[in-house]
Amino acid sequence: MVSISSDVIRGYNDTMILYLLLERASYGYEISRQIKKLSEEKYVIKETTLYSAFTRMEKNGYIESFYDEDASNGKRRTYYRITDAGRQYYKEKCAEWKLTKEVVEKFIEEEQENGDN
Amino acid sequence: METIKNYLETMFQNLPNTIEVKRAKHELGQMMEDKYMELKAEGKSENEAVGIVISEFGNLDEIADDLGISVYVKEENVIERRMVSTQEVKDYINEKSRYGFMIGLGVLLCIISPCGVIITENIYGIMFLFVAVTIAVGMFVFSGVSMGKWEFLKRDLCSIDFSTTEYVHNQKENYRMTNALMNTIGVVLCVFCCVPVIIISEFDRSGRLDVFGVVLLLVLVAIGVVLFVSTGNRMSAYDTILKLNSEDTIGGNFVASQKGQVRYSNKTLAAIMSVYWPTVTCVYLCWSFLSGAWHITWIVWVIAGIFETFIKNMNRN
Repeated sequence: MVSISSDVIRGYNDTMILYLLLERASYGYEISRQIKKLSEEKYVIKETTLYSAFTRMEKNGYIESFYDEDASNGKRRTYYRITDAGRQYYKEKCAEWKLTKEVVEKFIEEEQENGDN
Repeated sequence: METIKNYLETMFQNLPNTIEVKRAKHELGQMMEDKYMELKAEGKSENEAVGIVISEFGNLDEIADDLGISVYVKEENVIERRMVSTQEVKDYINEKSRYGFMIGLGVLLCIISPCGVIITENIYGIMFLFVAVTIAVGMFVFSGVSMGKWEFLKRDLCSIDFSTTEYVHNQKENYRMTNALMNTIGVVLCVFCCVPVIIISEFDRSGRLDVFGVVLLLVLVAIGVVLFVSTGNRMSAYDTILKLNSEDTIGGNFVASQKGQVRYSNKTLAAIMSVYWPTVTCVYLCWSFLSGAWHITWIVWVIAGIFETFIKNMNRN
């Protein structure tokens, strides 16, 4: 079975997290669940990877953390919200990906992919 | 859920006890708990849920740099610590209690050894004294040699895992009442040891029975000492185990026995405070003996107590 290359995806964990935060502030597991859902269970982010991304992006000022109560069960959690710098960074990453995809795709055999489907 | 908690504690056990590490542990624990809850809600079995959560946890290497703990995560930099298993810990505590009791009995024999001489004042009395002391010394040596194999607990760097720590901690909490009770009975026995002497000398004007009063005094003190020594040994066994993990790591963080300890930030102050109470005792005794004013010298203890609390609070600020 084909699985995701961890080397490539590593550079885009931040992008995925920022995308989810664009809509509204969220917390650890919720983000991890959304990533799994949106990727149709093809990508499951590890807890340590996620936490590492949070601390790194918070240090870089892309996101901010705050404590809040979960509306559904009243649990106090650390929530993360995106900053303006984060939005800017997200846009850059999107552009970067488009370019990367464009370049890499030129070297991908189309037939191979059709054969899979 | 218990398995997940243990897994996380074990992963973090030897990491330094810093705010960043604690926060990481808490956040990761929260994510794992959320995931576990959801898996359970989806109808997964306990084993399945735990398996998935642990397999998707990842690797601490990833957060090492962010937390400044890369030194600890890389294998070659980990200081070798001998892992002490739960079974070993149980054996140690059992043996320490058993031999603690034996040492107590030895001390009892030493204390009552003069009884024979006091009562009979003949050769048999002296023989009793020698036999009692010989047996006592035998007991000391035997328990000392037997406990020798546990020397490594004090000599080597050791560590215990989270579940063992929790087990010992609970055992200690359960034993706390018994310990208090035995110490109380011991103190009562020592305080009231002179009562037989007083009663006997009161009712027996001839003075012939006085010796039995003295013998009873020794026996009461001896029983009190057995209680002190054996319960003290058991408590110290718990503390020895609970102090195994280095206290500046997450693993050493939940040891209650270290909570009460005040650490002085100032080295000079620490040196002075280490001889504080012996000095106070010295002052009390000197003042009392020189002046003879025993009725008032006890005030030294009150003042010393207040002063110590004051210094501790100053240190905390």
